[in-house]
Amino acid sequence: MLDLKKEDIDGILIRYNVSLEKEMTPDEAAEELYPKDELIYPIAKAIYEGEEDDVIDGLKAAIDAGKNPIALINDALMVGMGVVSQLYDEGIIFLPNVMMSADAMLDGIEYCKDQTDEVPEPKGTVVCHVAEGDVHDIGKNIVAALLRANGFDVVDLGRDCPVDEVIEAVEKEKPILVTGTALMTTTMYAFKEVNDKLLEKGIKVPFACGGGAVNQDFVSQYELGVYGEEAADAPKIAEFILASGDGIEKLREEFHKH
Amino acid sequence: MVQKYTSMAYASADDLVFGKAKFPVKAGLGLEIGAGYTTPEINYAPRPQAGKSKEKLIKEYERITTDSMQRMVQIGAPSVVLETEHVEQMTNNPSWGGEVAHAQKTIMEEYHDEYGIKCALRHTPGDIREDRDFLKLRGDKYDLLMESFEQIAQNGADLLSIESMGGKEVFDYSILRNDTAGILFGIGVLGSMDMEMIWSDIADIAKKNNVVAAGDTDCAQANTAMFIAGGLLDKNLAHTIAIVARAISAGRSLCAYEAGATGPGKDCGYENTIIKSISGVPIAQEGKSSTCAHSDVMGNLVMQACDLWSNESVEYHGEFGGTSVQCWGESLAYDCSLMNVALKTGKEKGLRDLFTLSDKYRDPQGYVLAYENAYRVGQAIVKDGTDNYLRTKNAAVECCTILDEGIASGKLRLTRFETKALAKVQADLAALPDNSDQFMSDCLTKYKEEVAVFRPENYGL
Ligand code: B12
Repeated sequence: MLDLKKEDIDGILIRYNVSLEKEMTPDEAAEELYPKDELIYPIAKAIYEGEEDDVIDGLKAAIDAGKNPIALINDALMVGMGVVSQLYDEGIIFLPNVMMSADAMLDGIEYCKDQTDEVPEPKGTVVCHVAEGDVHDIGKNIVAALLRANGFDVVDLGRDCPVDEVIEAVEKEKPILVTGTALMTTTMYAFKEVNDKLLEKGIKVPFACGGGAVNQDFVSQYELGVYGEEAADAPKIAEFILASGDGIEKLREEFHKH
Repeated sequence: MVQKYTSMAYASADDLVFGKAKFPVKAGLGLEIGAGYTTPEINYAPRPQAGKSKEKLIKEYERITTDSMQRMVQIGAPSVVLETEHVEQMTNNPSWGGEVAHAQKTIMEEYHDEYGIKCALRHTPGDIREDRDFLKLRGDKYDLLMESFEQIAQNGADLLSIESMGGKEVFDYSILRNDTAGILFGIGVLGSMDMEMIWSDIADIAKKNNVVAAGDTDCAQANTAMFIAGGLLDKNLAHTIAIVARAISAGRSLCAYEAGATGPGKDCGYENTIIKSISGVPIAQEGKSSTCAHSDVMGNLVMQACDLWSNESVEYHGEFGGTSVQCWGESLAYDCSLMNVALKTGKEKGLRDLFTLSDKYRDPQGYVLAYENAYRVGQAIVKDGTDNYLRTKNAAVECCTILDEGIASGKLRLTRFETKALAKVQADLAALPDNSDQFMSDCLTKYKEEVAVFRPENYGL
């Protein structure tokens, strides 16, 4: 077939991802971010590598050396996950790495909890769901994974979730944030119903909505709505709420990009 | 009966071209697909409020049909296909789908009688075979789905299609974890098994009603991978992994034609060039004129071997230039006109190469789907054509080899991240067993344990 000369390709398309790629390899970048403490370092590294067995080995060693299991959740597991999240945000590593690290971190948390009767201080609960009538749940799965990766407790109501189930879960779990995902123009109207029923009950929790069909204009139409463009915004919204409160206006100012 | 492909339909990749298929398909009102010309395929979705009742839905589809046919006539398009992808109510209530098909076909007949425009109607029921939490591929939902096909076939649909979902539960889990074996198992093994079952039955229904069993697409898996992969700067999935999933999907979607379908394959099956090279069936494709529905990184390239050219889907509503179906339909028709001129003047291979080259180096996905590479993936599939596992594994391996060659040529420039992901897939593939029984038993053990929603009985296992 006809072909292009190598030097002609750039005039036709630019692989911006190649031209912008960072000099440092992901492993080098991670190495710079690990904590130096010699008991914590191997745990953080094992989280980054997504090796759950190594995470447990590291935790065992730290606990044997006198560290408090519950403190290790924040001081080691979350720190390791923080490295992973930062590298993902900077575009140095990709989602599957985050998923594998999150799995390893969750195993680690379970292990720490099993070692003591103490209960860890929760960071906050987020209720996630896919709109009623909609089965597209991959975006929601990513959102839930990233929230967990950032230390939030996630109550995942799954896909095709009836409006009333969302309301019940919110009443029961008292989340700091509710998320909704919809990929169809026909299903996203359920968000308005969720909004109205929450308000009827006097619950003013931020309701972050995203997914293929959803756009900022639509979400702005209901009082509790905050539009989230990418999954990585979900933990950012949750962190923002912890730091600056749950005022919808402020959240919109920060996260509405269009 | 399922007859597996063990050889290529075309002697060389250069024989693959738009508008011509080795086995053209006659359908509907005077239309022949793949018989030397390309035809626009207009796709649409009803406005949300229209789903409230059956009457409203029928009315909406009547408007859509009239608008589309009207615009095609106004601009002098010789042929058109309309595709109705069911909203869930239409499949779950089979008579609704049937009534919509009837209403649409009645209008199309009027246009055909009055103007002689060649046309056909494709209906694509939704794959409703699931509960809220689990796939439910067999049993009462299956029967309901077949009843839906029966109804549309009796009432005016000329082309029967579906975007079936077999294997999706294992795939969804695996794709977010770079789990090569799971991707292969979900698409190549489970997906293929379900395809063989469902398409044998659809082909029977088509035969009985004298309509066309058209084809499927691996939308549920390969397109999910493509969308998660996204644009050049997205960081959710390496594009090298997305194209491996796509290569595997060719073996899976091919099963429809082995079970009796004859094409045209569904528009969003970006695996269709590979399938055409093996089977010679006509294919629908979508790309630069389906940006109303989604973005891809190979908008021109996918035109290379299309027989129908589609806009994927657009919500029905007004635009400055008419209703959305009229605007997008018109774009498609002009694209087809250009391809048809090339066909008439003997310039089709030249135009094809321009389409292909415009995107070949844009992204690893386009690189592998460029027709001469797609052809090689086809050859890898037919080499072990009778074994669903081996042939899809071959496709994955060949895909990686093609990418390696592209990198070596210096023309396909990948990020280190993409190259690393590619190396991992290659290592994973090399570690897989050489026989399908072993693979099957390894995967059953692993995924029964890891994927809570995986139910082997969905596949008769
Ligand atoms: C994969 C897919 C499927 C798969 C779904 C698999 C699964 N487990 O999810 C299957 C095959 C099952 C499927 C089925 C159908 N589909 Co579909 N599908 C798609 C496709 C190709 C990709 C969707 C996807 O997974 N994208 C990738 C994910 C990661 O993106 P995402 O969910 O948007 O999430 C990202 C962001 O939005 C964000 N995000 C998401 N939620 C939230 C929340 C918060 C708080 C934040 C901050 C961020 C955030 O994070 C993610 C990453 O950054 C789209 C095409 C498209 N253009 O989108 C069609 C599409 C969504 N499907 C469509 C249709 C019509 C259907 C069917 C009705 C088809 C049919 N006739 O059967 C059925 C629906 C059944 C039902 N009742 O739901 C249409 C919807 C059209 C419309 N009316 O609006 C689309 C747009 C295709 C089209 N162009 O026509 N589909």
